[in-house]
Amino acid sequence: MKRLFASILALTMSLSLAACGNSGGGDAPQSDAADPAGGAEPTKMTLILRGGTYGDVIKGCLPAFEAEHNVKCEVLDLSFDDLHSKIALNAPNPQGEYDLCMVDGSWMAEFTANGVLADLSELGYSFDEDIIPATTDICMVGDDIYLAPYFGNVTVMLYNKQLIADAGYAPEDIDTFADLKDIAQKTNAAGKKGFLVRGGSGDNIVSDFIPHLLAYGGWVVDENNKPTVDTPAFKAAFENYIELYKLGDTMDKDDIVAAIDSGEAALGQGWPGWYVPAADSAANYTVIPTKLDDNDTAKNTSMYGVWTIGVCENSPNKELAVELLKYLMDPEVQLSTIDAGGVPCRYSCLLDEGVLAKYPHLETVCGALESGVYRPVIEEWAEFTNILGTEMDSVIQGVKSMDQGLADAQRALDELMA
Amino acid sequence: MKRTALQGERTRLPQLGDRAFPRLMIAPTLLVMLVLTSYPLLYTLIYSFTDYQYLKGTDAAQFIWLKNYIDLFRNTYFRQAVLNTIKFTLLAVTFEMVLGLLLAVFINSLHRGQKVMRTLVLLPYLLPAVTVALGWRMMLSSNYGILNQMLEGLGLPVFNWFMDTKTAFGTVLLIDVWQNVPFVFLLLYASLQSVPETQYEAARIDGAGVIVQFFRITLPNIKNGLALCALLRTIDTFRLFEKVNILTGGGPAGTTSTITQFLYNNGIKSLKFGFGSAGAIVMTLLVLILSSFYIKRAMK
Repeated sequence: MKRLFASILALTMSLSLAACGNSGGGDAPQSDAADPAGGAEPTKMTLILRGGTYGDVIKGCLPAFEAEHNVKCEVLDLSFDDLHSKIALNAPNPQGEYDLCMVDGSWMAEFTANGVLADLSELGYSFDEDIIPATTDICMVGDDIYLAPYFGNVTVMLYNKQLIADAGYAPEDIDTFADLKDIAQKTNAAGKKGFLVRGGSGDNIVSDFIPHLLAYGGWVVDENNKPTVDTPAFKAAFENYIELYKLGDTMDKDDIVAAIDSGEAALGQGWPGWYVPAADSAANYTVIPTKLDDNDTAKNTSMYGVWTIGVCENSPNKELAVELLKYLMDPEVQLSTIDAGGVPCRYSCLLDEGVLAKYPHLETVCGALESGVYRPVIEEWAEFTNILGTEMDSVIQGVKSMDQGLADAQRALDELMA
Repeated sequence: MKRTALQGERTRLPQLGDRAFPRLMIAPTLLVMLVLTSYPLLYTLIYSFTDYQYLKGTDAAQFIWLKNYIDLFRNTYFRQAVLNTIKFTLLAVTFEMVLGLLLAVFINSLHRGQKVMRTLVLLPYLLPAVTVALGWRMMLSSNYGILNQMLEGLGLPVFNWFMDTKTAFGTVLLIDVWQNVPFVFLLLYASLQSVPETQYEAARIDGAGVIVQFFRITLPNIKNGLALCALLRTIDTFRLFEKVNILTGGGPAGTTSTITQFLYNNGIKSLKFGFGSAGAIVMTLLVLILSSFYIKRAMK
């Protein structure tokens, strides 16, 4: 009796183990005989994307690819921080969980230095001439391509049409930081919020401030990547930024968009993915001013936040993932994403007559994408922005003096970059 | 025949010894605890003495001994996070205990509608912390939030609840208390159910009023429930993360930063697991100190 029981138990366990072994391994080709319908089991692919419009436009394109390649795509929509953590945590595994990943340009150095991303050049991908050249800079290490610029995110100035008209300005007239201040002052005097700055994480604060710093001719590191935050240019830009903040408020992304769209606030910096204005919208975008005042010379003040797509080095379906990447980067496919809020980094899409008739702001975005500035390509950028953003927040909130905050930031960043 | 064999088994078991038998019985539990608790704790302790960065791997990690701990305590934002956490824990646990006790006593005294009230009061606790945080964020939005609109309608000043140093801490505290009062209520309500009615009857015959009954009968009878509740809430509040992360990210100017939020920003996001481990060890020690009163009591 005991023997019989032991044999049945052993048989059951063997069958269970065999069944478990067969259920995994999405890469392994399945035989037609296994499927009673006669078709092969679809291959499972996992995409890890930034939640919101950025990922939604990709999701909208997937059904055609799934049907054509007999794959089933599972999509993870994540916040900025969670996306970074999950891609990184998956990286050391010999076989990863994710195939195609969305990567913020600022993570490029950290990910390529640690072998997180597959070399797309080796896998047969190359850029075509239609892609805005400046947006590909962040995607390459030497001549090797690791990422493809998918969503043309670049800082733009969000404005409320009525409030800037009330302040006596047309959108095309806003070309200096002095104009921003003038509008903010007039709006504030009228009982509304003049200028909104972005609060929250260190990265939000630093990203929001960088265009101001660029206008003052400053930068966060020098040519040797030594931090340069306790400098006269940084201080002047920061003082101007705080003056603007005092004419408005600090808010998170959703509140900034809602306040400007509802006419509670006149101005605020944003990203094209936040808001899709139509011709009759209350709000719209314009380029961030390039000069401090009329006597100043123009500088590049738009900062890139391009969302790129790449293939994980440990992807279980690397070749299929590259196929998917090529499909998503196809001009026709990218053109079809615009109605869903997509911002391709392609001339043919952004300057298409039909598109511009419907979404005139994309011409502004195209111009900004041609001349934006990347955040420093350093491995420590995530920690850098955390330190700098925290100190800047303390100064903005009046917890620390400007001198103390910048000196503390400089000291901590020097230690980080040493 | 069977009976004789069973009796034989029974007589053989004590031969293991009075000490060995209980040890054998708790061995599986100890083993599970060892694997699930001690092993990760030990590894966290070891990592806390290294410069382990997740993407570089353990092979590249070097022993830097106490540097992570020194860096932690030198960091003014960490010290601020520790103080915030202690302040938040003391305030939240106090408010939750007082409100939970009042609710439990009130609902326990109801002759009708106890079940309905019990269910209604429990609702906030049934919601996930993330849902609670997002719901409150919408309600307290400085633009479209219902609270500011109501205040505006009444001609009262409105606030930027989560982005103002004067209001952010109190707002997060209020939300946490709102969600966790039901937990305290539930535990204390269960304790109240076990207080013998005869004690109240005897007190009433002796002429004791409601307040005397509360302090002389109710509180002494539920003191173990109160202590357990305080311990569980202390440990849980000390680990507060989701609400702070979603609502304020630790800002403005670090006023709502807790230890877990600090560790997330400075250890997890930057993948510096060595540094993060040092913070986790410090946090574990602080929780142990705070809960030591109860543990001491339980060990007696």
